[in-house]
Amino acid sequence: MKSSLWREHVLPFSLLLSLLGVATVAGDYLLHRLDLVWVGRYMGIPGTLLIIASLWYSLRKRKWVLSGNAKTLLKAHEYMAWLGSLMVLIHAGVHFNSILPWLATAAMGVNVGSGLVGKYLLKNAREHVQGERARFQLRGLSKPDVEQAVFWDAVALDAMAQWRKVHIPIFIAFAVLALGHIFSIFLFWGWV
Amino acid sequence: MSRTLKIILAINLLVLTVLTFVYPHLMVGPGKLIPGHQKLEANCFACHASFTGVSSEKCVSCHKPADIGKLTTTGAKLAKPLTSTPFHQELASLDCASCHSDHSGVRKYHQKGYFNHALLKKDTAAQCQACHKVPTDALHKQISGNCSQCHTTARWTPASFDHDKYFLLDKDHNAACVTCHVRNDYSTYTCYGCHEHTPANIRRKHVEEGIRDFTNCVECHRSADDEGGGERKGGGGRRGGED
Repeated sequence: MKSSLWREHVLPFSLLLSLLGVATVAGDYLLHRLDLVWVGRYMGIPGTLLIIASLWYSLRKRKWVLSGNAKTLLKAHEYMAWLGSLMVLIHAGVHFNSILPWLATAAMGVNVGSGLVGKYLLKNAREHVQGERARFQLRGLSKPDVEQAVFWDAVALDAMAQWRKVHIPIFIAFAVLALGHIFSIFLFWGWV
Repeated sequence: MSRTLKIILAINLLVLTVLTFVYPHLMVGPGKLIPGHQKLEANCFACHASFTGVSSEKCVSCHKPADIGKLTTTGAKLAKPLTSTPFHQELASLDCASCHSDHSGVRKYHQKGYFNHALLKKDTAAQCQACHKVPTDALHKQISGNCSQCHTTARWTPASFDHDKYFLLDKDHNAACVTCHVRNDYSTYTCYGCHEHTPANIRRKHVEEGIRDFTNCVECHRSADDEGGGERKGGGGRRGGED
């Protein structure tokens, strides 16, 4: 049976992304149920720190820092960014109070999505499409026929590659918006 | 990242920055202000001081502590005060934000109806009746002052009164208060409110032991298991160690 890029890669990816949403709703529900809403108020701090710590990989990748195993750092980047995002999402809750933090949250969501596409989908999808091409060529199909056979998978792959490209610009937007939110908290809130 | 993308990103972020300064209440304000303060919505620093939060000094520039609960900020008499007794005059220090939050997004974190009594002057804090009405039930009618003997300032109910100090409410005595304190009169009690103890069988058991004064049960019995080793005024009953 012909394996589908959607079934084998896109669906698991969607489930992983959905898990973030489900965990957010479950966390928010639990905090309300246990009368611990105030915990969510402070969850943005460890969440942000986790996301910042996860950026060590980004610095290592660009050789701005030289210490640390790149593969280990990538794994840490994925886990810490995912968990940090979950904390920030619970922190955001379902309370729409002001525009800036919500834009930051939305940018973070897009960032997580594009990050997951990059790691969990793009590499596998590329291998999948190349494998399919090789398989059709071995069966003696002509090049146009091979391209037609993998057309929709190739379209999906191209869309993923484009989506991957937004990771860095969206991250910059997220960082600036989040900094704006954090600065406004420091400016207006009495910490002592 | 392409140059065009960088420019688009920079323009977007610049626009958002400008919007934040022009419409701070929409961009960074944690929800709507209370109706009385809505005119201050676009002027965050009317109430906030930079990096230190809400400034109580700014609050009292309009809300004079001497007038709170009596007069409005314009000096008119309050038609319907929120509390029956003005108490802001009795606060030891000014910390308005510890009780008040004007933004809807922040108010939900404040416990409704909670007041930190530690903010009151020490003498005032000890005079509960200055602000609170004395309950009119049979028990409380007889008591004046010293509320802290049975209650804390954190909450009125449940009372912090430790019943076990007088009589242990074990599984056989986990009864409604009125079983022992008839008509909710906590100044007195009876052990004959249940079927287990009747005047006749209690009399018989005590007379057998030579105890004549057994009207005040808890004087000797502080729990169901207590065989009567407590202090005893009358009677010639058995004492611990005399068996």
